[in-house]
Amino acid sequence: MSQALLLKPDSRFVEAIVKSGGGDLKKCYQCATCSVVCELSTETAPFPRKEMIWAQWGLKDRLLSDPDIWRCHQCNDCSIRCPRGARPGDVMAAVRQKSVESHAFPSLLAKAVNQAKFYPLLLVIVPAVLLALALVLRGPIEAILPFEEHGDAFYAGFFPHWLLIGFYSSFTTLSFLGLLVGLAKFWRGMAAADKAQDRAPVLGIVPSIVRIVTSTLVHDRFGKCTDKASRRPAHLLAFYGFNVLFVVTVWATIDLYLMPIVGVDSLYPFDLMHPMKILANVGGVLLIVGCVLAIRDRLGNERQSGFSTSFDWTFVWLLLSVGVTGFITEIFRFIVDPSQTTVLEYAAYTFYFVHLVMVFSLLVYLPYSKFAHIFYRTVALIYGEHSGRTKESGRPELKAAPERKMVASS
Amino acid sequence: MDKKVAVYICRGCDIGDSLDIDALTSVAQENEAAICREHDCLCGDEGCELIRQDIREGANALVVAACTPRFKTDTFTFDSCRTERVNLREQVVWSHEPNDEDTQMLAEDYMRMGLARAKKVDVPEPFDEEISETILVVGGGVTGLAAAIDAAGAGHEVVIVEKEAQLGGWSSKFAKTFPHKSPYRDVEPVPIEDRIAQVESNDKITVYTGAAIEKISGQPGQFDVKLKANGSNPEFRVGAIVQATGWKPYDASRLEYLGYGKSANVITNIQMEEMISAGEIKRPGDGEQAQRIAFIQCAGSRDQGHLPYCSAVCCRVSIKQALIARDMNPDAEAYVLYKDMRVPGQYEDFYRKAQEDSGIFFTKGDVTGVEVVGDSLQVAAESTLLGENIKLEADLVVLATGLVPNAADGEEIRRFNDAKAVIEKGEAGAQLDAAKVTSEELKHLDGSSILNLDYRQGPDLPQLKYDFADSHFICFPYETRRTGIYTAGCVRMPNDSQASQEDGAGAALKAIQSLRTAKQGQAVHPRWGDQSFPDFALQRCTQCKRCTEECPFGTLNEDVKGTPLLNLTRCRRCGICMGACPERIISFKDYSANIISSMIKAVEIPDELEEKPRLLGLICENDAYPSLDTAGLKRIKHSAYIRFVPVRCLGSVNTVWIADALSGGYDGILLIGCKSGDDYQCHFIKGSELMDKRSENVQEKLTQLALEEERVQLVQLPITDYEKMAQVINEFAEEIEEIGLNPFK
Repeated sequence: MSQALLLKPDSRFVEAIVKSGGGDLKKCYQCATCSVVCELSTETAPFPRKEMIWAQWGLKDRLLSDPDIWRCHQCNDCSIRCPRGARPGDVMAAVRQKSVESHAFPSLLAKAVNQAKFYPLLLVIVPAVLLALALVLRGPIEAILPFEEHGDAFYAGFFPHWLLIGFYSSFTTLSFLGLLVGLAKFWRGMAAADKAQDRAPVLGIVPSIVRIVTSTLVHDRFGKCTDKASRRPAHLLAFYGFNVLFVVTVWATIDLYLMPIVGVDSLYPFDLMHPMKILANVGGVLLIVGCVLAIRDRLGNERQSGFSTSFDWTFVWLLLSVGVTGFITEIFRFIVDPSQTTVLEYAAYTFYFVHLVMVFSLLVYLPYSKFAHIFYRTVALIYGEHSGRTKESGRPELKAAPERKMVASS
Repeated sequence: MDKKVAVYICRGCDIGDSLDIDALTSVAQENEAAICREHDCLCGDEGCELIRQDIREGANALVVAACTPRFKTDTFTFDSCRTERVNLREQVVWSHEPNDEDTQMLAEDYMRMGLARAKKVDVPEPFDEEISETILVVGGGVTGLAAAIDAAGAGHEVVIVEKEAQLGGWSSKFAKTFPHKSPYRDVEPVPIEDRIAQVESNDKITVYTGAAIEKISGQPGQFDVKLKANGSNPEFRVGAIVQATGWKPYDASRLEYLGYGKSANVITNIQMEEMISAGEIKRPGDGEQAQRIAFIQCAGSRDQGHLPYCSAVCCRVSIKQALIARDMNPDAEAYVLYKDMRVPGQYEDFYRKAQEDSGIFFTKGDVTGVEVVGDSLQVAAESTLLGENIKLEADLVVLATGLVPNAADGEEIRRFNDAKAVIEKGEAGAQLDAAKVTSEELKHLDGSSILNLDYRQGPDLPQLKYDFADSHFICFPYETRRTGIYTAGCVRMPNDSQASQEDGAGAALKAIQSLRTAKQGQAVHPRWGDQSFPDFALQRCTQCKRCTEECPFGTLNEDVKGTPLLNLTRCRRCGICMGACPERIISFKDYSANIISSMIKAVEIPDELEEKPRLLGLICENDAYPSLDTAGLKRIKHSAYIRFVPVRCLGSVNTVWIADALSGGYDGILLIGCKSGDDYQCHFIKGSELMDKRSENVQEKLTQLALEEERVQLVQLPITDYEKMAQVINEFAEEIEEIGLNPFK
């Protein structure tokens, strides 16, 4: 505290936050109503009042290495109660976007992915061209390497599994490496900021992870939001939908390639009544319902749900599109007779291709889009436990108002 | 004309049920009441008709024994007759045990006192003098222009005296102002040209620019003004004066800790205005464009080492300057460091506009210093909203300095002039040495007078808190301690230009009011409508000058010998001169040493054997008396041994009354007046203070008489403290009972 900090106000960063949905940021007059009403804010590390003034002054370094911005779930309890209409919840969301963009590696890609003018190029043309290139290269590769197709899956004829897995695993590996670089930068930033303030860790990393994972499974922090309670079920559905699909996809890969190695016959493609298939379909439905609920929330009441930017919309629509095109692709698989070449077959391949493009955009751009919140938030929350931010010391009880006594008259 | 005293006793409001009215009637008759009647409801039509009938038949001095004189005043006021009120309701039956021996004695004493007074007072005759209705406005800034336009609009001739070559004051020096109309978000051009044109085209208004006042002599309604204007000396008579001399900026050279003087790039908000008017905001040090501008609010304001007060406008001025700077150079950044942003009323929206600008940064904080670091400046602040101590780099630092009233300190200038006179006389001795010290100490005041009043108490208005000229900020806005002279705008309080214009209108109305009352031979506020005035029996005057010194309103001048010269319309009729006069030569027709003495003596003092003490309460009728009434209204009981005599002001209490009371057998005297000190509540500025000084002499006298000094006590009681009134009285009564009865009975 004694060391004076040389402030470098940055009006460009302020403008960047304003453009990303924090348009009312400058209205804040620091009354701290937000920090008081927030159910997630703790006494040991209250927010979002301090973030509001940091953002007003454009103190970029502070904000980017602040784990507290990720402890906010944008329920907007604060925005609704802000006497000045500064919408701290939306400002926090905008700062999170800036945080993802600045930590991401390479940062140029992050900046491009979040600009609407690059959407056609990055979200459609690039994946489509890459996938087309893969299809073109399929023959030459097969000529050199003896890839063997397992089972007789319908779409495998169009896009063989070895190519699919090879293609996506290489690109996602690249993007995850980028993500790891970003997360490491983020962690170091948080640790350095705490060290500068002589704040020592209070809990080991492993117990911190356990706490956060268990709490995320039930979304209990989300449940503390009072005014916009409907966001929790929507998020839970999408969360479990996505994770179920992720697990069955991994299982399918294992079934296809690893099971035969240990001598178990691959069951792929799964029968409709196969537990994994049932799980996959349930997951798909959960994902779609979750996304639809989330979209409805965002469209319904901006005051409560917060201001939605293209950062939010791109992610939620992409997620929904992946679910929907996935189902369409699956339906085609059952209605198309693979023995005959029909128009339906081409339609099925087209939808499958579209689905693959969507999946590429969702997974490969993960570190640069809103999807990155899964990782940044988790890391920040773990760091929050680690550094003692969530220690509840209990709110002081309000003292009863002093009793008023009338002075005796005659 | 012989007096025919008529007494009326009202039985209503519990009086008839609580007192022996027949006994009271006998008391009245024993005390030379020609008529004595009682009625169940005296204030009703029937009761009043009873009185009117007697007046028609020759009754000319009335005593109404009913409620407090503060109630039903109009009902019991009759033409050509004076009415004395005996307060039987609030101060007898509602504040004492009904049908009790002591209560009855109290009522009877009050009846005797009322009769004593009725027999002695005369109906005042108002003076009649020729009154000028012209109003002089000193200062041609935005306030003065408003006062002039409004006074002329009300039909008065107006003369404006402006020291500069043009009208307009500060307003004409600023390029833009903060908004004055909805939606209160955008800076506006200063609307001064219109006002100047309005004044110049008004044939009721005469303007002297480049002018100063050489001398103002006389009194309200008859001020003779002599100017110095462009080589000529116009002379004219005015009736009242509005002083709208405005403000000057606080001297920034005393703010070295904020970098002023250490770097040319630390400037005041006035210098910033000049740059804005010139069209470019540059660093004075090197002529570079200023990219980072730090505004330091309360620079030398709200600071006990500098100006202790808030100047009201600096926050809005800095917001305005920040917005203009951003407008002139969109790459510029403005930082505002404040103690509290004070943007009253709709100006919150103006503040919002600046807050919403991404290039204007606000934080609360205590600025601890400004350092020059290389080419730039570093502002250090503590206790900021960022939760830590910060430093900010800036190219230009703007100190938001406050407003200092452009007023001269009349009393200090008088001390200086008196010292100079002593030195000129050249008489040797201790007095000369003291005069030399004073003259040296105050030499900066030489020639600082603005009004140059020919008043014994000094050539300008006395200053009050923070050097603003005012008489009582809360109770009597615009008024000063010189009757007929009213202050408006920043010389009265820090104001923005809009509030200053309202001030101008307020002061103009006050000036008009003072002319009207003077014309009717009446006092101005607070004894509005009082037609009595002090009469000096000068043949007995000893030239002690106490009256000229103690008058809070500078009413009295002196001739060469020191004899007081009365300026009637300056007088507020408080009677402080009367209290001061050791020879008791000053009296009003209805208020004099003699009248009050006879009231004091009218009380029947029981002998020692009865063991009933008698206490005298001299009570200020402005605040303490209403407070006592309120206590009665609330039925709060107090000792029945005390007899209250209302006085115009505790300052009008002549110590002879205290001496009379003690020698007449009273056991104790309680003086109840208003709060004194910086936040005084006295209607006549320093009544309690003067009484306090005089009671020091009283204490000495008590010691000489071998009487206990506790027998005379002074209490200051705000009007709202009626709950404490009974406690004060009872504790005093108990104390006196403990001491024992007065041996001079």
